[in-house]
Formats: sequence, C-alpha cells, structure tokens
Amino acid sequence: MIIAVSGVNDTDNPGPGIGVARSLKEADSSIKTVGLSYDVQDPGNFMDFVIDKSYVLTYPSQGWEPIFNRLLYIKESYGLDAVIPTLDAELPSYIKYQDDLKEAGIKTFLPNLEQFELRSKENLGDISEALKISYPKTKKVFNIDQLKKAVNEIGFPCVVKGNYYKAYKVKSLPEAVYYFTEISNEWGFPILVQEIVNGDELNVIGAGDGKGNLLGLVAIKKMTTTHLGKIWNGVTIRHEKLLKVAEDFVAEYKWRGPFELECIVDEDNIILIEINPRFPAWVYFATGVGVNLPKRVLDVMFDKNSDMSGDYESGKMMVRYTYELITDIEKLSELATKGESNG
Amino acid sequence: MRIENLAVNKNGFAFDPTSGETFTLNETAKEIIEDLARGVEEKEIAKKLSEEYDVTQEEAMNDVLDFKEKLKLYGLLS
Repeated sequence: MIIAVSGVNDTDNPGPGIGVARSLKEADSSIKTVGLSYDVQDPGNFMDFVIDKSYVLTYPSQGWEPIFNRLLYIKESYGLDAVIPTLDAELPSYIKYQDDLKEAGIKTFLPNLEQFELRSKENLGDISEALKISYPKTKKVFNIDQLKKAVNEIGFPCVVKGNYYKAYKVKSLPEAVYYFTEISNEWGFPILVQEIVNGDELNVIGAGDGKGNLLGLVAIKKMTTTHLGKIWNGVTIRHEKLLKVAEDFVAEYKWRGPFELECIVDEDNIILIEINPRFPAWVYFATGVGVNLPKRVLDVMFDKNSDMSGDYESGKMMVRYTYELITDIEKLSELATKGESNG
Repeated sequence: MRIENLAVNKNGFAFDPTSGETFTLNETAKEIIEDLARGVEEKEIAKKLSEEYDVTQEEAMNDVLDFKEKLKLYGLLS
C-alpha cells in the first residue's frame, strides 16, 4: 500500500506529516510512504527512514490543478493508494475535490465542506453552545472603527485573530491596529477580537468515522512550547469531561477524519479556542501511547477492522528533540532538478 | 477533591492526571497530602506531625490549615 502525506516540514514549526508517516510505518512496515513537499529543503525529503519517496508540489495558492496533476503523475509513475493532507492551506482544495481523487483511485478520509466550515472561528460560539462548554467573548470586526469599539468593550490585553489563521495578544490600540492590518492583508476578513481566558491549555487529538463514532481520542497538556506556541514537551492526561466533549463533538457533527480540539480548561470549565480539521504535529504522541490514529483512519478508508479502543495511560510524556542528519547534496540536486527523489 | 487522584511517588513528585500539573513536595507536604487523600482528620494529622517534628499540636494544626489553603489555591482542594 502506498500512502502520501503532506506536511513533511519537520522543522521547529513542524507539520504533522512525519508523525503521520511514522505512525503508519510502525503499524505496518510494508506501507510505502510518499512525502508531498512544498520546499526542496523540507527535512522530510531527507528522512529515508520514514519517507520512501519525495515529491515537490506547487504551492496550494497556485490552484488545485497542478496538485491534482502531480498526484496523478505519482499514481502513474510510483503508485498511490491514498493521500493524507495535513496542512491548513491545502485542506479546502482536498475537501472540495475529494470525489475527483476518489475517481482517480486515490482515497482520502476528510470532513465535507460543511463540516470544515464549522472550524471557522465565527462558528465556534455555536459549537460551544451545542457542546455545553464556554467560548471566550468575541467580536467580529471589518474596519478600524469596529476594531476600536470592540477592544474598548473587551478591554486590554485581548487577542486579535484571523478567522482561520494567526492570533496575537495585544496590549494597546496601536498594537491592535497593527495586527488587524497584518492579518487582514494576508487572510482577509472578518478579524476577531477576543477576550483572554485563563486556565491550562489542554488539547485533544481524535478522529471520527463520519457516522458519529470515534476512532480514538488522546488528551494532553502542553508542558513547554516554542515561541510559536508549538508543543515541545507534553504529558497525557485523562480529563474525563474534556474527553466527553470531544466524543460529543464527533457524535453531534458526525465528524469524518482527524481533528484536534484546542481548549483552555479551568477546573471543570472548558473553553473552546480552536478546532483543527486535521492531525496536529504531535500526532505521533498518541501513537506512542497506543492510539495510532493515522492507522485507524487508513483502516476505515480501506474498510478494514481496526482496534478502536480508547485506552491510554495518563502521565506519559512526549519529549521532542533536535537531531542532525548528514547526507549528500546529490539528493537536494535531484529534488531541485527533477522535483522528486527516493527517500 | 483532586488530591485523591494525585499520583505521588516516593520522591515527592506529584502528577495530577486530570490537568497535567506537576508539583514537587517536601516530606511534610507529601505526608499531609497522602493523609488528606485517605480522609484522615486535620486534628489527627496535626497530632502525628507534632510528634514527628517536635512542635506543639497547635503549631502543627496551623501549618496543616495553612497548607490546605495553599492546596485550594492550586485547585487541588475545594
């Protein structure tokens, strides 16, 4: 079986691809992994112990056609049974064109567009209400006047964030205006102004089968993070109310595919901050404690029976570390000139 | 009462499996937490501490009550 994964940028701001590929390889060493990369220097292109074959793709901003043609080329020249996209920027296209991929014999396991839209921060308030949890006070703004009014109402410090991407803590109006402009220039409107909530940052990784059933869940606390807020060290926890919220989310919205819930938790008060409709970069943490979600998703894709048990232990730690890989520049040359290389 | 769920090892390292919080406890704190989690009365704990550490029962009781306030601050006691 040949499975392609994107997000093989295993840097200090890692994509989830390497964690997904590693999980698949550990579950079944006969699986061949294809790395879909947007940069010839992505570390995953050189990690032949996880990625068997690498291809460079054009950026998702260039449209779906070049990506689709590249996937067809991979299928024809190397073989390709399924693709697991893991990056926010490419997900809308993969979701929109999942039927075209299916027709071409390339399986995916993704939410539909309607489900995908749920993650829009505009909709998180309604989801929180349906799941009986809290959502921070949030104002939607489209211009500077509305921004001023919103920050006055919410007070400083507060968070200025895009509807899908980017979030900055601001302490003054000039700072708020600066980030309002920066985010709207890059990602458009609306911009959201949100109150800051206190508590522990707890996250849940999971996947749903699209019929309301869970494929597995793992909750963690981020113990240390990078300056971008990415997990470096973490620990598994069993916060039963939080796990129940994730279970209800899958049941209520019949979620199909992987997801991550980002929450702030103060005792039993759960505040929803974000829903990511994909595996997070720490996906291998769940695999390491016995909940191999990439493999479970793959099993559902291919109608195989899989272990869907929810058991994992609390108090298991993930410790990320840096490592140097020494290789020949020939590999870079192949990627730069041919756009592909053996892992 | 979250202290009932705290996993405390012999070195005094405590892990809260619900929140993921970790704490380092000294010998006395470890003893008090273990006793409270077992449901031992404050008076009993103070009596035991006064014998072990050669302080009056009143002093030990004040320390127990003070420590309980700290546990509340950390959300470990309601």
